[in-house]
Amino acid sequence: MENSYSADSIKVLEGLEAVRKRPHMYIRGVGTEGLHHLVYEVIDNSVDEALAGHAKIVEMVIHTDGSLSVRDDGRGIPVGPHPTENMDTIDVVMTKLHAGGKFDGSSYKVSGGLHGVGVSCVNALSEWLEVEVWREGKKYKRRYEKGIPVGVISVDEDSGVRGTRITFKADATVLEATEFNFDVLSNRLRELSFLNPGLRITMLDERTEKTHDFHYEGGIVAYVELLNKNKTLIFDPPISVVGEQNGSEVRVALQWNDGFDEKLFSFANNINTVDGGPHMIGFKSALTRTIVKYGEEAGSWKEIKESPSGEDVREGLTAVISVKIPGAQFEGNLKGKLVNTEAKGIVEELVAKRLVAFWEENPGIAKKVMAKVSDAARARIAARKARETVRRKGVLDGASLPGKLADCQERDPSKCELYIVEGDSAGGSAKQGRDRRTQAILPLRGKILNVEKARVDKMLSSELISTLITAIGCGIRAPGMDEFDITKLRYHKIILMTDADVDGSHIRTLLLTFFYRQMHDVVTRQLADGMIKHHLYIAQPPLYRVAKGKSELYLKDDAALDAHLLELGTKDAVVRGAGGTEIRGGAFKAILEQVLKYRRLLAKIDKRRDGRVVAAALEDARLDANLLRDASLAETLALVVKALEAAIKKSQPDESCTVALAADELAAAQKIIVKLGHNGAVRSTTIDAAFLDGADYAELKKLLGSFAALGAAPFELGEEGGESIPVDARTPVELFELVKRQASKGLSIQRYKGLGEMNPEQLWATTMDPSKRTLLEVHADDIAEAELMFTTLMGDAVEPRREFIEKNALDVANLDI
Amino acid sequence: MTKERKAKAPGCPSCKGPVRPRVENPDFPFCSQRCKAVDLSRWFTGSYAVPGERVEGVLDRDDDQEGKGK
Repeated sequence: MENSYSADSIKVLEGLEAVRKRPHMYIRGVGTEGLHHLVYEVIDNSVDEALAGHAKIVEMVIHTDGSLSVRDDGRGIPVGPHPTENMDTIDVVMTKLHAGGKFDGSSYKVSGGLHGVGVSCVNALSEWLEVEVWREGKKYKRRYEKGIPVGVISVDEDSGVRGTRITFKADATVLEATEFNFDVLSNRLRELSFLNPGLRITMLDERTEKTHDFHYEGGIVAYVELLNKNKTLIFDPPISVVGEQNGSEVRVALQWNDGFDEKLFSFANNINTVDGGPHMIGFKSALTRTIVKYGEEAGSWKEIKESPSGEDVREGLTAVISVKIPGAQFEGNLKGKLVNTEAKGIVEELVAKRLVAFWEENPGIAKKVMAKVSDAARARIAARKARETVRRKGVLDGASLPGKLADCQERDPSKCELYIVEGDSAGGSAKQGRDRRTQAILPLRGKILNVEKARVDKMLSSELISTLITAIGCGIRAPGMDEFDITKLRYHKIILMTDADVDGSHIRTLLLTFFYRQMHDVVTRQLADGMIKHHLYIAQPPLYRVAKGKSELYLKDDAALDAHLLELGTKDAVVRGAGGTEIRGGAFKAILEQVLKYRRLLAKIDKRRDGRVVAAALEDARLDANLLRDASLAETLALVVKALEAAIKKSQPDESCTVALAADELAAAQKIIVKLGHNGAVRSTTIDAAFLDGADYAELKKLLGSFAALGAAPFELGEEGGESIPVDARTPVELFELVKRQASKGLSIQRYKGLGEMNPEQLWATTMDPSKRTLLEVHADDIAEAELMFTTLMGDAVEPRREFIEKNALDVANLDI
Repeated sequence: MTKERKAKAPGCPSCKGPVRPRVENPDFPFCSQRCKAVDLSRWFTGSYAVPGERVEGVLDRDDDQEGKGK
């Protein structure tokens, strides 16, 4: 049977008196909300016509007399005698409560309507209401006052347009508010036009001449775009889900922005289900499930070690879910919640199917979404851990301080120091050697990870981070937590004491970075008077112990040891060169210091170019850039290259060496390529014009020149007033080595591999005794350097990172901060 | 106590975005509390590991002295 909307399909249910007596039972009160509810009720009827495919445009006008009209180009309300009621069908529709095509189920497959009370309810609450119907070539007009029909139904011939117009003026004797708000109405009407793609809704406010013309072919996708306007988007355009199942239509549009708010709107049959329902549950479930699964397979949650929650997934999400289902039911007077449980499965299935396909087809977008979700999860985890840390151990409560901390007796923070000591054995020595009145010790160890078989990675464990936060006492700033409070700082000096090796410097880098990022005020504290106070320090444990008989000396690094040995070796010394040159004492020392600089520079250059080759190029071949550039000197160059090869072979008899010339196209010159090494471990060094013109080579040349005062080999070395002895040193560098060796005789030089090698007394005397120690005060700029190193260390690419570490191993160990 | 030198702004460690100066930004050197929290969780979950040297025959050694067995 063909569905038809005629007098037959109307079933009469109730009268209108009750509505006027208890309006709040039928509409949202007698205030502004209730007033606008009346408009929605009328509009919904027109939209239903559109949903059923009979209307394309809905026009709403607010008139200057305070009335409002809604017109559509639908089929028109049926007119004619009603089959069961003794009145005209139009009167049944307009005066009988719960009368309308919607209760039939066949005229409108899908219908909204706020209460199902229909337009009769509007009629009952109107001072007057007029219905105009254009139908089957005729125009009918009917007037009501307070819901009661007035006069007769007028009938005119008409031009053949069709549709319905309802004009009403709210009854001020029942309603408190009768003034329509254009903006409120336009929000709902815009929403309706989004929910019904293709439908056009126009608005006119005759009081102000304001108009709107809503028409969105994109439907809710356009809605999501509007909601995300002026936001930074994770991707664009929104993901759109459109599907149909068992006569139900599902449309979903979703898109993430970089914010943290979750904006979800759900609709069922055009009704804004503010309290959600099965359709919302189905959407959330499909979203969480597909993202968690995709991320799992892509390894997105490896770092956070747990699956993201639904809230993590929805952070920054804007989504609109719209379902249109036959026989939709709503809970509560205000229809805030959809009841139909079948909606869950339908939405869940359609959304999951689309999302799974979307992630597969758009791996780039998927990656960004997974990153956004894992950030959300990270923030949640951080907040939780921070809460646990602060809750578990009441800050400032001595009894609940972490067990590993050996606290000091003093309670005045300005007099207290906290030593953070790498390694348990050094921690033990520090505990014994300290001044327990003012010095607290926290031993720590970088947890060692075995990420790959052949690597030992270091990190600070989660426990250690908690311990640090608790010991320092200021709390931590995290979502939902109290502020970090620097005034609760328990120690005004926090001193990092780590080994002078690569591991030590890595642990120090981690700690510095942690303080800089998470406890910035400890690094630079802004005082009330505008001054900056620094609380973070680095201890300076010695690298060498030099003993002679009963006297002992601690030296902090190689440079200090070299300086000490030079001092000893040149004191009262006289050196004589081949041409009768004679240099003594301080002057001798000054030259050897230049030699030392020369050697250090060569060592630095050695990271890029083999230092032995560079030394030979300068000392033996006397290379300069001009020789490489000037083509007319080709013969000389060939000779020099031969000489260079000979010199290297002579000084490195155990290595195989090849020297070749090649074109240096960039510099329009020749370049020399030296391969030096053995058994496959051959290192290639390029000596080109750019290097020979560079600052390093110039400096080497200058330093080499300053050795001239020593004279030439063979050298003789002796003491002031004593006899000179010929020595086996052909060059100033060899002479320098010889002096160092001689100075070391009779000395016991111990190189500390770690703090643990010092006993408590030594640790106290060298590093912890406030009257003797040196501490480096850490400033924010210093840490910016550490941060840079940290960033490189933490970089994603393993190779550059490893290369960086190998290249910088020496620099890192002596990191001067 | 010293006068602080002006540090260069290398961007937020978490998102690399611009960072407001310290005086008006309690989350410095991060751009936001969110980015700071993301970093904090990385500390808590042990994501920040410094890769060590290559070592022959490293065993499954657990040197975590801070954690278990308190």
